[in-house]
Amino acid sequence: MLDVGRHPNIELLTLCQPTKVEGEEGNFRVQYLKKARYVKEDVCTACGICAEKCPIKVSDDFELGLAKRKAIYIYFPQGVPPVYTIDPEHCTMILKGKCGLCARVCEAQAIDYNQNDEERTINVGAIVVATGFSQLKPTALKNYGYGQYANVLTGLEFERLLSATGPTGGHIIRPSDSKTPRKIVFIQCVGSRMAKGDGYPYCSVYCCTNSIKCALLAKTHDPDIKEISILYMDLRTYGKGFQELFLRAEEVEGVKFLRGRPARVEEDPLTRSLTIMVENTETNRIEPLAADIVVLSTAAIPSTGAKEVARILGIEVDSYGFFKERDFHNPTEATRPGVYIAGSCSSPRDITDSVAWGTATAVKALTHMEGARIAQKEIEVEPIDTSGEPRIGVFVCHCGINIAGVVDVEEVNQFAQTLPGVVYSARMLFACSDDSQREIQYKIKEYQLNRVVVASCTPRTHEPIFRETCGLAGLNPYLFEMANIRDQCSWVHASTPKEATEKAKDLVRMAVARCHLLQPLESRQMPMNPDMLVVGGGITGMQASVDLARLGHKVTLVEKEERLGGRVKELSTFYEENYDGQQLISEKVKQLESAGVNILTSTMVKEVNGFVGNFEVTLQSLQHQEKTSTLQVGSIAVAIGSDLFNPTGKFGYSSFPNVMTNMEMERLLKEDSPELTRNNKESKNIVFVQCVGSRNKKDGNPDCSRYCCSVAIKQALKLREKGAQVVILYRDIIAFGKGVEELYRKARGEGVIFLRYDEEHPPQVIGKGRATSIKWMFSPLNQEIELPVDLVVLSVGMVARKVDAEQIQEQLKIPRSLDGFFMERHSKLGPVETSTEGIYICGCAQSPKDITDSVAQASAAASKMAVMASKEFVELEPTTCVVREDLCRGCGNCQEVCQFHAPELVETPEGNYVSRINEALCKGCGTCASLCPTGAIVARHFTDRQIDKMVEAMLTGSL
Amino acid sequence: MAKMKKQEEFEPKIVVFACNWCSYAGADTAGVSKIQYHHNVRLIRVMCSGRVNPAFVIKAFEQGADGVMVSGCHFGDCHYIFGNYQAKERFEMLKRLIHLLGLEKARLRLEWVSAAEGGRFAQVVNEFVEDVKKVGRSPLAPIKT
Repeated sequence: MLDVGRHPNIELLTLCQPTKVEGEEGNFRVQYLKKARYVKEDVCTACGICAEKCPIKVSDDFELGLAKRKAIYIYFPQGVPPVYTIDPEHCTMILKGKCGLCARVCEAQAIDYNQNDEERTINVGAIVVATGFSQLKPTALKNYGYGQYANVLTGLEFERLLSATGPTGGHIIRPSDSKTPRKIVFIQCVGSRMAKGDGYPYCSVYCCTNSIKCALLAKTHDPDIKEISILYMDLRTYGKGFQELFLRAEEVEGVKFLRGRPARVEEDPLTRSLTIMVENTETNRIEPLAADIVVLSTAAIPSTGAKEVARILGIEVDSYGFFKERDFHNPTEATRPGVYIAGSCSSPRDITDSVAWGTATAVKALTHMEGARIAQKEIEVEPIDTSGEPRIGVFVCHCGINIAGVVDVEEVNQFAQTLPGVVYSARMLFACSDDSQREIQYKIKEYQLNRVVVASCTPRTHEPIFRETCGLAGLNPYLFEMANIRDQCSWVHASTPKEATEKAKDLVRMAVARCHLLQPLESRQMPMNPDMLVVGGGITGMQASVDLARLGHKVTLVEKEERLGGRVKELSTFYEENYDGQQLISEKVKQLESAGVNILTSTMVKEVNGFVGNFEVTLQSLQHQEKTSTLQVGSIAVAIGSDLFNPTGKFGYSSFPNVMTNMEMERLLKEDSPELTRNNKESKNIVFVQCVGSRNKKDGNPDCSRYCCSVAIKQALKLREKGAQVVILYRDIIAFGKGVEELYRKARGEGVIFLRYDEEHPPQVIGKGRATSIKWMFSPLNQEIELPVDLVVLSVGMVARKVDAEQIQEQLKIPRSLDGFFMERHSKLGPVETSTEGIYICGCAQSPKDITDSVAQASAAASKMAVMASKEFVELEPTTCVVREDLCRGCGNCQEVCQFHAPELVETPEGNYVSRINEALCKGCGTCASLCPTGAIVARHFTDRQIDKMVEAMLTGSL
Repeated sequence: MAKMKKQEEFEPKIVVFACNWCSYAGADTAGVSKIQYHHNVRLIRVMCSGRVNPAFVIKAFEQGADGVMVSGCHFGDCHYIFGNYQAKERFEMLKRLIHLLGLEKARLRLEWVSAAEGGRFAQVVNEFVEDVKKVGRSPLAPIKT
């Protein structure tokens, strides 16, 4: 929100609704209704006095009716734009012309009761629709008692109880008696995966992981909450790190996971406590489960008014009312050219995927615009005088309950005020929210703060935001320092709040100490090379290259194989489509060629030098080993994909010829092999084993591989068409994408048999020469089952590429997660960025994905690169090293140790040698500074004195 | 009753110099994953483990640190290519130096922790804190009055 509110290229039109869209891609004329706010947006300062005085109390929609707001209100405190609004349905001045209190108390004179709705028009080249989703009101599902029983809540209502800004300030209480609950039960799939009645047939995707997260938060937040159970059908922890979250919940925090959809919830009218009738899967009996609060994970449904939006925009909706995608490999395009869809408006999605989708639409929208550039910000602020004594401001962040739930932030705040040089100190609910950022700017000016400390989270994600804020207030951004009291205190010392608070105070003292010695620095500009390199020519790399080349960029696509297309080119007919992987790849190759991408097959990256905007890449031909070439690019996308898990030695693979992987099955299907069809009227018995090398602690991918359940279902359906008997052995059917749950249901209808196995008792394949049967412990019946087999198909997981990924990691210096896949900058805020600026990751190189998710992420990476290339200059950190020549005796140690050839010995007119550091080459590691025998080298922003001072502040308590 | 309380357990003061790209990020990962560890450590962020001047470590001991840990990227992962090799070289020298100062070698530690290794960060911190607790308060620590 902060970025949107601040960006010079974004004009925010809130309280607006499109009414008519004319024209075509590249030239739309959009009519919209600007609804009356009754408050002048450019005048309101969001001081809040109006709402304080307003006598009308209304149920608060944002708090889902769990709290009240006034008739003049701000939707939620961190909202953008930070402007109040009058609710015309409740304001007595608007309704009856009586009151007018807010206008009288508003010093800014922002209230205007005479505003009317206005028809306006705007011309645009492209339209992005991101209208999100609504939540099913579970009142219709009477058996769960929502609306009848006070202590039955929806998942979102529970989230509000957990939120520090919520109606209870982050305390979980029972609505009936405000007591802390001891037992909480989550019920999954409320209105999702329901073919009949008032529910929806699809899977809502995010709810399994969301309930686990809520359970963990509740459990760690309040020790009085003794027991949390999650009742589920299949646990769909499909994303990167989700399985780890589940294991932590189950094994570390003791959250109980019970399989089964309960029939009903009952309430004890005296205690208002609840009983859930649920089948105990251990005993196969229906047993009562007691709960103080029941949380219903309700279905995500098309947003209210989505059909009307679709009508106005002229785009189609699917049978549920979600916006229709053009097809599965153009998932961000709506059915009308020039209109793009992002996030959950086309299908339920989690935050990570929604961010990738949203980012992806940017590069698509750009194709309708020429020469888009980022507008230069013209900031005219009085610079803050930094020459005098330090005047330090300290802002201590609550981070909702993330910090304040453990650390006594008021104590830290009081402590900060006692430190020398600190002239102002305050607490903030969320230091990074828009309102807090303005507050910081305001305080910098009011107190003429010439140093700022924010005690909150990690500088690795948030330092740039706060630096920019300082800059906006006229303070040099390098006079800012962070104390990481969340990641290093509250989150890791949750059970010892006193010690966590002491540590937070130490970290603040150290930050203030360092602040005294900070020096203003000016960033350097280097030219930005707009050319790009994409590494990996699978569907992901091809998509990223096409997107970029269509904008007119010079793109080089490097593939080590002889042909483009990766694994996709091997795939047989896509289910319910009439073309195959090879045809999809041919189509993309045509797009690559017509867009003018420089395609280099049988080529590998040998070496990468330089930095964002100025990379020099050495490429090596794999056909002519001696042939190398160099390339200058500004940014690089890594799309090297993944490998499939090699099941050799498991489930009889490689010992029996009739045990194959799902990829090998795909080839048989493509060839329409006779092995798959019945002979002499005898059906083939084909058994699939899921999660081979996925969700496995020992080998393969520790997480879900995302693609294998839906592929097994599609292959099973095709095999049923050929008359085979198909059984799928699974742990959880993770059919989470658009239309996949429906396919799962269809497969069951077509007679595909789904049987469960447990991770602890994997199936055994039995045979001599050939596999003849498969045997496993079928836990629901607590009984061993043996089935005859003609073919066994292993649904193998995706694992990180070994050699290639290691090479890329070393060449580009980008980190990998423990699972071997490349690590994104932030799972939600930066899913395609890496810790190195100018280098992006997409597709299966980051984590397993299907084609749809891979191409969406490819477009997201392309968007980021296009934005990078639209800049004329790249700003480089001024935190380089510099030589004090009067102290240098020209020993040359620095020249020897520097890998970037930044220091150089030069002869002075006096005939001595001194070192000089070329700032354009220096990366600021500071290794030379710690090696310099005379202390002549100063590592800017990490000087010896600054570091010593922090150590001193920590150990001696002095400043 | 308060007087009856047994003597408080020794809580060492430990300085950790962590490089920005791997170890500081690894500490962040420990945070995000909520992996709990001993509270005795205070991190000082430097861009590279190669930036850690031996003098920083010696000064930390002089001012009463009970332990000092330098933590950087695994070999091959250094954002600046060989900064961690430099850190390793200096660490060998520092080991000899603190011996001359009369400090136990358990008080100084060099570790490689990657950005993904939140669990490992917590583990090495816990081990180090336990080791330092065993050798007790630093002989250079100011005597509490």
